[in-house]
Amino acid sequence: MSKSLALVVFLVAVVSGCSTVSPGGYFWGNYSYTYHDLIKNPSTESRAAHQKSLRNIITESQEKSLRVPPGIHAELGNLLAFDNQTDAAVTEFSKEVKLYPESTIFIERLLSGVSKGSEEDEI
Amino acid sequence: MKFKLIVVAAFTLFIAGCAEVETKMQAYPKMYSPSEKPVSMLVVPVVNKTTAADAGDLINSTLTVPFADNGYYVLPVSIVSDIFQREGIVEGSQILGLPASVFKNNFGADSVLYITINKWDTNYVVLAANVTVGMSYILVSTADNSVLWSYDQQIVVDTGGQSSGFILLDIVQTAINTAITDYIPIARQVNATAVATLPYGKYHPQVGQDGDMEVVLKSAREKALDQSD
Repeated sequence: MSKSLALVVFLVAVVSGCSTVSPGGYFWGNYSYTYHDLIKNPSTESRAAHQKSLRNIITESQEKSLRVPPGIHAELGNLLAFDNQTDAAVTEFSKEVKLYPESTIFIERLLSGVSKGSEEDEI
Repeated sequence: MKFKLIVVAAFTLFIAGCAEVETKMQAYPKMYSPSEKPVSMLVVPVVNKTTAADAGDLINSTLTVPFADNGYYVLPVSIVSDIFQREGIVEGSQILGLPASVFKNNFGADSVLYITINKWDTNYVVLAANVTVGMSYILVSTADNSVLWSYDQQIVVDTGGQSSGFILLDIVQTAINTAITDYIPIARQVNATAVATLPYGKYHPQVGQDGDMEVVLKSAREKALDQSD
């Protein structure tokens, strides 16, 4: 059983180019791991680790000439806004809209939160 | 004797007939209609019906990758769930009653994805260990509340290690593996299996070309809808 699983894992790794680039053509780095840590244990450390992971995804994607995956610039912007780095946050939000125009309404909502300096949004 | 053989043959045919397979186009026609096909997707926090408390976080943290890889713009799950939390919503079940149009107006999402974890059973059987996971997925249009895609599946993932050749060592090893199993690849595997039936979206290189793929089990497509009531 575990031998066949190992074979499947091996084949998947080979097919996906040692899992650096996903089947959809994105580089995700450690995204799921650092995000999972952030949910399980929200702290300055886990936020910093996730921010590092997001920056790594952006850098690696650029180096590999890949499109940065959906939501990565927005998430980075959100973490920067949390740290009151408003200008840097707005820059990241704008990059998300430029790359993915269908995020416009969502990002405008986030931007209004940043400029108000309040988190009081209503669904 | 011959009669018995005929009964067996008939029974086999009956079983085979049950496992009706559809193409993606037959199963999900709205996903191929230019006016109805969604580009963006908002994922509601999962509804966890199991006693495995960690399962929800595991699935939530591994969802974006497969759905984005399939060509969709997935609204950032971390930000969306923060917004929900500020509104006092931590579980998807609190959202089920809302009309999907709420997500169009407030988030600009074309579709909403509802996910339920129905089963998460860890089995430890001396020399082997596995986890049985049952999930259902329903993608709803925010334009008219209609179902765009649905799938229900149960998979068993092996979590045990390699055999050392010594039974006693194996027993100890299996116990250790079960305790420290890295569940993220397992959660990924679960999502990937269901997502294989989802028609490709705008950002996938083969968008619109996968309609003939015969990969949708009709029973699995329908089962997801039964459970939603």
